Amino acid sequence: MLKINGLKKSYGDFHLDVSMEVPSGLVVGLIGSNGAGKSTTIKSVLQLIRPDEGSILFCGQEHGPGGTLLTKNEKEMLGVVLSDSGFSAYLSASDVGRICESMYTKFDRAKYEALCRDLEIPARGQIRTFSTGMKAKLKVAAALCHDARFLIMDEPTAGLDVIVRDHVLDLLRAYMEEKEDRSILISSHISSDLESICDTLYMIRRGQIVFHEDTDILLSRYGILKCSEEQYNEIDRQYICRRKKEPFGYTCLMTEKQFYLENYPKLVIENSGIDDLILLMEKGEDVS
Amino acid sequence: MNIIINSSSMVPIYEQIVESVKKSIASGELRPGEALPSVRSLARDLRISALTVKKAYDQLESEGFTATVHGKGTYVLSINNELVREEQMKELESDMQVIVDKARRYDISMDELRELFRLVSED
Repeated sequence: MLKINGLKKSYGDFHLDVSMEVPSGLVVGLIGSNGAGKSTTIKSVLQLIRPDEGSILFCGQEHGPGGTLLTKNEKEMLGVVLSDSGFSAYLSASDVGRICESMYTKFDRAKYEALCRDLEIPARGQIRTFSTGMKAKLKVAAALCHDARFLIMDEPTAGLDVIVRDHVLDLLRAYMEEKEDRSILISSHISSDLESICDTLYMIRRGQIVFHEDTDILLSRYGILKCSEEQYNEIDRQYICRRKKEPFGYTCLMTEKQFYLENYPKLVIENSGIDDLILLMEKGEDVS
Repeated sequence: MNIIINSSSMVPIYEQIVESVKKSIASGELRPGEALPSVRSLARDLRISALTVKKAYDQLESEGFTATVHGKGTYVLSINNELVREEQMKELESDMQVIVDKARRYDISMDELRELFRLVSED
């Protein structure tokens, strides 16, 4: 669906250099702390900013610098939610429906209105009177109703409470279930959201991709090991890739928890999640 | 078929699915010819990655419990219960191997281990 190769963009001290792929039929997550380059990557794909160099292939067409502009047809294939933009505060949800209907050839107004009711978004009343949560839900609803093949969502769940986040994620799961060739590229800093929806994850740090793994592998094979310095020195460390100094010794990220479970039954071993991964990537040191 | 996933378990999620499906087949809850839920729909219900479900389905297929018809879905094959039984025995054997290995590492004699096994299996 989307293939990014050697995408570069510099802003002063910040240098983005990203290669990643969103295959058809998969949900790809982009994690990283604020300012890591998630939005810059997404905006480059959408041609909202002009990258310095690199290749961006969307459905086989080159749209990087030197490539063509996204055609109307290609834009119709995209459903987009951006974190820092939305609809005019003076419109109502029903106005947004009418505007989308005249912009997209396949916009399903009835589906949109049903979705708004389902998400408890008032049809009337200007958006400026909406809560943060309502605005966020409206953006997702508007992106889901024109039979897009590819959703690009930059922090769609930011500012939402756990109930609404769950609801939004369920909508995305339903979207993926409807047709097999759909894909989603989603960024979030709420890691539990990404764990439960993404098939594969990219972690971006200071403009670079520092980690790429299938969620399944991260959850089933990776693990966290907590041990004293003494224990750390004794064990076979071939599957330990990062460690972080702790008052008690070390917290380690390991790539084969089964190996340590079987050979060192006395050690404290936990399942790893995205949060552990981020912490060890940011604060830990590389020992692989 | 109800599958309940324990996300804090050390057993990988795909293995939990494989076990669940096998149990349902063994108990007759899933009958030969019956379709398993689609990969995406099970992923949605369990809130896990579709790749995890796919891995579980691939394993069930390679072990001969199911067959996948491309573009249609995954179906339960008719298997004799002996195969299921054999499968379960094999699994117990490998679990026991882990215990025996552990006992050797801890310097616990096989007699002590048998005694322990007797104690545990009494209730």
